[in-house]
Amino acid sequence: MRGYEYYKPGTIEEAIRLMTSLEDAQYIAGGTDVLVLLRQKKIKPGHIISLRNIKDLAFIAHHNGLHIGSGTTHAEIERNEIIRRNYSALHDATSNLGSVQIRNVATIGGNICNAAPSADTACPLLVLDAGVTIAGLEGERKIPVDEFFLGPGKTVLRKGDILKEFVMPLFGPTTGSSYIKHTRRQAMDLPIIGVATRITISIGKNGGELRCRDILCTIEDVSNLLARFEDEELRCEDIRIAMGVVAPIPMRAKEAEAALKGKIISEKLFEEIGEIAANEAAPRDSVRGEAWYRREMIKVLVKRSILRSIDRIIRPDDMVYPERLW
Amino acid sequence: MDNFPVVGQRIPKRDAPQKVTGSAIYIQDLKIPGMLYGKILYSKYPHARILAIDTSRAEQLPGVKAVITGYNIPPFKFGFFKDNPPLKSGKVLSMRDEVAAVAATSPEIAEEALEMIQVEYEELPGIFDPIQAMQEGAPILHEGLKSNVLKLPWRLICGDVDTAKKESHCIVEDTFSTQWVTHCCLGTSGCVASFDINNNLTMYSNTQIPYLAQRDYIDALNVFGIKNRKVRVIQCIIGGGFGSKLDTYAYEYIAILLALKTRKPVKVLFTREEEFIATSPRQSTITKISHGCTKEGKLLFREMEMILDNGAYTSWGATTPSVMMMPISSLYKVPNVKYIAKCVYTNNTYSQAMRGYGNPQATFAIESSLDQLAEKMGMDSYELRLINANEPGEITPQNFKVTSCGMKECIEEVAKRIDWKGKRGKDKGRGVGMASLIHVGGGARVYKSDGCGTIIKIDDYGKVDVFTGASEIGQGSETVIAQIVAEVLGVNVEDVNVINNDTDVCPWDVGVHASRTTFVAGNSALGAAKKIKEQILEIASKSIGEAPEHLDIQKGLIFSTKDKEKNTPLGKVLRNAHYSTGGKMLMAEYFYDPANENFDKDFKGNLSVSYAYGTHGVEVEVDRDTGRVTILKYIAAHDVGRAINPMMLEGQIYGGGLMGIGYALSENMNFREGRLMNPNFLDYKMLTAKDVPPVEPVIVETNDKDGPFGAKGIGEPGLVPTAPAIANAIYDAVGIRIKDLPITPEKILKALKEKEKRGQSGEEGK
Ligand SMILES: Cc1cc2nc3c(=O)[nH]c(=O)nc-3n(C[C@H](O)[C@H](O)[C@H](O)COP(=O)(O)OP(=O)(O)OC[C@H]3O[C@@H](n4cnc5c(N)ncnc54)[C@H](O)[C@@H]3O)c2cc1C
Repeated sequence: MRGYEYYKPGTIEEAIRLMTSLEDAQYIAGGTDVLVLLRQKKIKPGHIISLRNIKDLAFIAHHNGLHIGSGTTHAEIERNEIIRRNYSALHDATSNLGSVQIRNVATIGGNICNAAPSADTACPLLVLDAGVTIAGLEGERKIPVDEFFLGPGKTVLRKGDILKEFVMPLFGPTTGSSYIKHTRRQAMDLPIIGVATRITISIGKNGGELRCRDILCTIEDVSNLLARFEDEELRCEDIRIAMGVVAPIPMRAKEAEAALKGKIISEKLFEEIGEIAANEAAPRDSVRGEAWYRREMIKVLVKRSILRSIDRIIRPDDMVYPERLW
Repeated sequence: MDNFPVVGQRIPKRDAPQKVTGSAIYIQDLKIPGMLYGKILYSKYPHARILAIDTSRAEQLPGVKAVITGYNIPPFKFGFFKDNPPLKSGKVLSMRDEVAAVAATSPEIAEEALEMIQVEYEELPGIFDPIQAMQEGAPILHEGLKSNVLKLPWRLICGDVDTAKKESHCIVEDTFSTQWVTHCCLGTSGCVASFDINNNLTMYSNTQIPYLAQRDYIDALNVFGIKNRKVRVIQCIIGGGFGSKLDTYAYEYIAILLALKTRKPVKVLFTREEEFIATSPRQSTITKISHGCTKEGKLLFREMEMILDNGAYTSWGATTPSVMMMPISSLYKVPNVKYIAKCVYTNNTYSQAMRGYGNPQATFAIESSLDQLAEKMGMDSYELRLINANEPGEITPQNFKVTSCGMKECIEEVAKRIDWKGKRGKDKGRGVGMASLIHVGGGARVYKSDGCGTIIKIDDYGKVDVFTGASEIGQGSETVIAQIVAEVLGVNVEDVNVINNDTDVCPWDVGVHASRTTFVAGNSALGAAKKIKEQILEIASKSIGEAPEHLDIQKGLIFSTKDKEKNTPLGKVLRNAHYSTGGKMLMAEYFYDPANENFDKDFKGNLSVSYAYGTHGVEVEVDRDTGRVTILKYIAAHDVGRAINPMMLEGQIYGGGLMGIGYALSENMNFREGRLMNPNFLDYKMLTAKDVPPVEPVIVETNDKDGPFGAKGIGEPGLVPTAPAIANAIYDAVGIRIKDLPITPEKILKALKEKEKRGQSGEEGK
């Protein structure tokens, strides 16, 4: 391992200037991806520029929606009560990422800039309609997170660019979201597959109030539950579905979204959506999972994630979800 | 059973504070003045001819002190079959084959030098499947051999299986297979080899067999031309063994060769990736098994044929069939037994001992097959197990003389605590299963000796030093030995110091294996403690004015059992002993070698003086949509003779259980054409603290007549019956039987879908 120079700029501008003036430099935030790559000799930077000293990168703010600085750690996001309630998918992702030790240092910006197909926060950000603000030599620009990824490890960032913050809109009480990470272990694991959904619902019957609320607290069969939803005309007003580890980049299942939007939930429709989403995906065989299994899991997890998102709208105060159901 | 002040108490593991505060010195931490760093270059191909090696550029790199290859070292081979040179020349037979090594002033320079070594290979077709390797016309790996099947006669015949087959009311037959798994010691392997001016060698090492390793090194030095010199083995604190350190490895000989060449101490330390790739794991097996029983469910015969992937070279992995014979002949009462095993060379990594030493592979087949038999018989598998359970006083077909045996109690405890009657065969998607085990519990005579020595001396202030041959590899032997000695001598356990890491200082021991340390080293310590106590009481007798047989020691005070007022502190007696004329220094030694037997040529004999039993019961839930298994409840009942330290014993059960659950559900060395695809903890799915299910240990005490204070071994048993117990529970939950470990969600989901297609057609679709 060759030695490298280490820098700790205090401002975004200084960091960008440094980066653009040096040949083989690398930004580092929490370092939990960078250090692994260094050890594996996949990168050999001569200069490492730490972003940890830049105060402007680490914050969570609530004005006109949610703003999260790229240097915010997963632990900080996990502990934020507003995010847990209103941006639940992001809470799901950050609270199951790596281990406590990793979450205490690893940042959401690092997770996204590293652009792994398995990055846990990517699907939640996709379904939460996140925009990203990028600071570069020529000033700032904003793009939707959908346009950020180009391929495994590849993003739209140009030399010197810093991902500054993520911005998400406000969601009302009829919207809920969730992220399911399918792993072999309970901790220290990357997803075999990850699915996030966000749904906005309305109830057609009973003056818009859901009567079958209590059934959610039981371990009733899913098909019974869906039949009750259908009876009470639970309609999907808006929907986002995102999938990870099914393609070179985290992706939306737009056809499945279109098939569900505006419709009343039913078991038949649920089956269809699972199939459609699975067909949109292009999972591969790898050491971590077989393609056929990943495809099967999309079908299962898209359904479970939507159910969980609905559950969170209906029972926002309940921390205990009957895990066995979804 | 009697209660004791020290034995039987929940005393915290004595090395725990050092380890959690970071003050423990591991091989990782060790630095010796002038020390160089050795690094090893491994093969690029699983099977290839080496055409040329060019080390000239590496040699010129500043900081490099030596570069060695298989072409410039003395011809030497190590291992059980002496088939493994520390550096290869001519041919490489696996990806982990060592091709060259460098010693340099820093690990970074050594690594850079490795990149400068140019090796030209001619790739050869590899064989990665033992069945293919046995086929006619398969390329032969080792020159001079006619077959890839090792010349090892693993064949056990007890009674008459053919006749028993005819007499059986019910017979089941099936094939089971297990995967490669590795020990995952948190402390990676390493050593420092250091020669003094007279060519005596000191090896700082992680070994769990210091005295056998000493002999291996002496053999090597003889070949290297250094004859008749002394070898001293010093162990740092060892970060886990689990059998991985039961043999010497190429890296150790490489360190010795580099130290010889440079005349400096040389350290070789494995990275995590090397630990995965270049240490020797538990091999994969394919087992054909059949069982038959009478109308009443009494077992009549067990027949097993097994193929073991030996890998490219031969270490103790090739001898695991000898231990597999134990459950095969003696788990449950089965009068007629036939077992034949073949170990086969392939271009995979080579296999070694791992906790359980073959027993988990064999027990997976046996206990899965027994559940199949019960189902075919229309019997509750719990009843079948009880009917056939081992009992005290039994002599098994392999001539094991069973002394203490709590197997029935274990089975019953498990059934009760898991609510067997209430849950078995009931809830769809949830199920319960069980499986039992037998293991050696009173040493195991696998070498000519099964002995261990102890020396005890006591200082002027009543503090005790115990010098034992038994190594501490994290299992807690230090604490247990201290407890036994403290109990006998009537001193506080804190006042007993255990020294166990230096062959110059400590007496001989055959090694940490076969769950033998508490039993053998414990008995040895017990013998030495009793001896020194006699000496103390003898001397005290004069000053107290009481016959020795009426004296005892408690909390450091020697007193008359007739009149407690007549007493004197232990320290005072000890000081007086050598300050008086014609003085005496207090010291005792004891060598304990249990009265067990080597196998005879038919593999029969009383391998151990006592046997350990246990039963695990599991309740699982299977997610039918994802194939995922959740363990809801886990009962682990173990007959341990006596718990010298219940807390540490439970630790062994938790640890063993979790290792077993990993074996059952997630761990797998994923080899693709001999190349390990997952040499890291991200993709090798060792379970984490968050995956620990609620394990409930049940300690069954049978007070073994030969054990120290009645204790038997428990180091290995914890993981032996785990996989079949889980497999049986999964079958109970969803009616599918996975016969190939690990039982992944993929396999379960695939089987569920196939079953759905077939329609409900009963066990295994027959
Ligand atoms: C043991 C372990 C477990 C893990 N488990 C998980 C897991 O479960 N799920 C998961 O998704 N990931 C996991 N990871 C990966 C990693 O922890 C996450 O991707 C993490 O969020 C990366 O953040 P970081 O701050 O450490 O990034 P760093 O390693 O510091 O940086 C990652 C990349 O992003 C760039 N970068 C960082 N910040 C910025 C910025 N503001 N602007 C521009 N570029 C930037 C860096 O230059 C680098 O290329 C794990 C890693 C380890 C070591």
